[in-house]
Amino acid sequence: MYFKKNFNKSFNILLLRILIIFVFILVSFFIIIPLLPLFLKSFSDNKNNFIGLENFINYIQNPSLTQSFINSLKVAITTTFFSVLIGFIYAYALTRTRLPLKKFFNTFSLFSLYIPPLAVAIGLIYIFGKQGLITQGFFGTIPGFDINLYGFNGIIIGEIFYCFPQALIILVSALNLSDQRLYEAAESLKASPLRKFLTITLPNIKYGLMNSFFICFILSFTDFGVPKVVGGNFNVLATDIYKQVVGQQNFAMGATISIYLLVPSILAFLIDKNFQKNEASLISGKSIPFKPRKNLIVDSIMFIFCSLILILVIGVFSSIVLASLIKIWPYDISLSLQNFRFSNVAGNGYEPYFNTVFMSIYTAIFGTIFVFFTAYLVEKFKPLKKIRMLIYFFSTLPIAIPGLVLGLSYILFFNKPSFSVPFLDFQIFNPFSLLYGTMGILVLANIIHFFTVCFISATTTLKQIDKEFEEVSESLKVPFYKTFLRITIPLSLPTILEIGSYYFVNSMITVSAIIFLYPAKIPVSSVSIVNMDDAGDTASAAAMSTLIVLTSLFVRLIYEFTSRNVSKKSSVWINPLET
Amino acid sequence: MIKKEGSFKYLEIKNISKNFGETFVLKNIHLDVFKGEFLCLLGPSGCGKTTLLRIISGLERQTNGDIVQDGLLISNSPTEKRDFGIVFQSYALFPNLNAKQNISYGLENKKINKKEIEKRTNNLLRLVGLEKYSDQFPSQLSGGQQQRVALARAMALSPGLLLLDEPLSALDAQVRSKLRNEIKLIQKKLNLTTIMVTHDQTEALSMADRVVVMERGHIAQIGTPFELYKNPITPFVADFIGKMNLLKGKYDKTNCVFYYLNNRFLISQNTEYSFLENCLLGIRPEDIEIIKFRKNIEKEENILRVKIKEITYLGTIFRLTVVLESKLEENIFVDVISNQVISNNLKIGDFIDIKFKKEKIKLFESNL
Repeated sequence: MYFKKNFNKSFNILLLRILIIFVFILVSFFIIIPLLPLFLKSFSDNKNNFIGLENFINYIQNPSLTQSFINSLKVAITTTFFSVLIGFIYAYALTRTRLPLKKFFNTFSLFSLYIPPLAVAIGLIYIFGKQGLITQGFFGTIPGFDINLYGFNGIIIGEIFYCFPQALIILVSALNLSDQRLYEAAESLKASPLRKFLTITLPNIKYGLMNSFFICFILSFTDFGVPKVVGGNFNVLATDIYKQVVGQQNFAMGATISIYLLVPSILAFLIDKNFQKNEASLISGKSIPFKPRKNLIVDSIMFIFCSLILILVIGVFSSIVLASLIKIWPYDISLSLQNFRFSNVAGNGYEPYFNTVFMSIYTAIFGTIFVFFTAYLVEKFKPLKKIRMLIYFFSTLPIAIPGLVLGLSYILFFNKPSFSVPFLDFQIFNPFSLLYGTMGILVLANIIHFFTVCFISATTTLKQIDKEFEEVSESLKVPFYKTFLRITIPLSLPTILEIGSYYFVNSMITVSAIIFLYPAKIPVSSVSIVNMDDAGDTASAAAMSTLIVLTSLFVRLIYEFTSRNVSKKSSVWINPLET
Repeated sequence: MIKKEGSFKYLEIKNISKNFGETFVLKNIHLDVFKGEFLCLLGPSGCGKTTLLRIISGLERQTNGDIVQDGLLISNSPTEKRDFGIVFQSYALFPNLNAKQNISYGLENKKINKKEIEKRTNNLLRLVGLEKYSDQFPSQLSGGQQQRVALARAMALSPGLLLLDEPLSALDAQVRSKLRNEIKLIQKKLNLTTIMVTHDQTEALSMADRVVVMERGHIAQIGTPFELYKNPITPFVADFIGKMNLLKGKYDKTNCVFYYLNNRFLISQNTEYSFLENCLLGIRPEDIEIIKFRKNIEKEENILRVKIKEITYLGTIFRLTVVLESKLEENIFVDVISNQVISNNLKIGDFIDIKFKKEKIKLFESNL
């Protein structure tokens, strides 16, 4: 007989299994399980008695609340339509025309990503509000024009500002994948420009188009910041939840409305996911990128269009900065830094600002580690396939969970020191409750709130790294974690930096996920913007917004600088033939 | 089966099967590999050759069967506990490590001192002729050089078994033939048992001591390159190793005559053919000769009158594609030396007589 090599299971495979299960438990507890108390709450009254569908029935019978649902849908559909339309034209200009100053238009189009929706709304007040620049005709120098900002109009403009760059990013990358040869073939067959557009361009970007519809719909359907500031009497679901929870302490109704907010989002998510499932790239690796030809008319029209969009974006940003620097708008327009003292408002001074900066740093560090490691385990290994698929599904879900819903579910889940087991007189200690009332819960909420985008970008990068590296390492008896540190991380560094900066910027500007969660002793700046605006102190709100935007831009600049150095160093690794 | 003097079974593959759900990828594979042997797994894509290689490495797990390496049963050992080095088709060189670091990657994890690592890495670099390129990153190396780094890396831990998964298919023709010789030389020098997967028959024939021809998850034939060429046992092997004309007809075993349409072919006596009836006649293009045009060929055996449909120049020879007037859709290939085509002034559309050499004709069971 033969000697039996009796290694039951190798230590590495065991370690890998433990890690995968550990990550599975984490994502379950951070993403799925907190939603359960929210569902339970929506079926209970405020004394925790089970009342079945009563909340939902009450909701439907309350005309002002149902109106909010319709309003939210109206806002979402209108915003989605315009954001994708504008995003598409802008993306088309950047990728398929000889637009002059392309680089400039490319960089500044994404500017509004760094402006919190709250701040956009404040900027709009200074332009289109009662005392706004346009409404008052630049302090009375020219005839004014009132667009009736407060209400539907204001929300739509604000949401488009917020959603347009998201659609733009998706559509630019979709339009960038093109094959010159298809267009040449069509031309040789005498196809008209319209026919080429309908038969080549559109089919190639349909997945990107669908995805941008989905993203814009969810963002605008669930956004809280813009309607809070310029919504006026035009109620939407997000502001209703806030009023129920913060104003009336009615958690049950808050939870019920959350379900109304969550269901359409999840539906949109599932439709999109189902659609993307069929995605197969029509463009092969060997394709020749499209090279636009000069076309004076098209190029000029695009130039005018893009300039208009940019003027609006920069206009809103400048008005925020300007508003923060002007003493008393519009009566004393002399410049001063007094709005940056934050002394006369709710106190706290600079504390909220620094809290937010630290919160964003922690989110960037821990979020990036968590996201990247999760994606790595899901993408690179073979054991526990079903569990890895579940982790993948859970990881893509947060994009469909509105920030307010996430925040509310986190309160309901994390403030419980223990769970009671139904029908048994038995309590289980909830270890996660230790996070409640600390900075930790804010960081965690942010990590999960922005998880999906980061996860997808990590997965995409990891997919591009040869899976045979792991196999080679195994054959060379090198444990996987060494290869992870020595090969995978260096090769993914550009993406890791990108994820970190994405987390930082979004944590700086977010309000919805943390407005229910922030502990009284840890005030954060986006919430103080809401409070200052509520108190009528718009100038201080503008000043705080300015600080946030500048900080985000500063971090983004550091990112650009670092990533340029990284890519310079790694350019030697990239095969010149492949680029 | 040839076996070198004093060599022993180094690797035994016993009854290995692999299926994904209902589909069989490998079915009852038996195979012995001898110490120091260069074995090629050859077959069209989808025949299971790469899966077999991956099962040997442990990167894929068999559904059934056992593997014994050097007297040890390794059927369920994890990859990292098995003794082999592997070169992938894509090389899978770590792009952020230079040639030297790639080669020493496995060594650094062993508890060997730095000097020893340095020495062994340099030896490997010398072995593959890349001393001058030790600091270059993979992207700065040519395809052939990358291939050599991958080979050196796979040999760094002095494995008992070297696995090569289509190692040359990404290279251009000239580099490929040069590397074929180099790999073969290194393999012989180190007496390293090697299994290579390829779909390129020229590569297999020129490098391997023995070739395993695989077809749809099973082994069609094992043998030395010459044996396979000379005595293919199935029409698949016959047509995969080199080129063979296959004509369907009837065999009259009492008279040793094969009937193809109205033509008669005399076959050398062979007891193996005794059970055949409806079967295939196989003959290689080079075993067909052009003969002088005669008036009456109907009565003669082994001769066909055909029309030239195509003439392809292949270097020292021409390959003629010819057809029978009565069966235009069936191509027969005939290889003739260039001079014969030129001196006889053969043109497309000409009628010629061709003769199948009796002793070169093979018969195969027809599975159609």
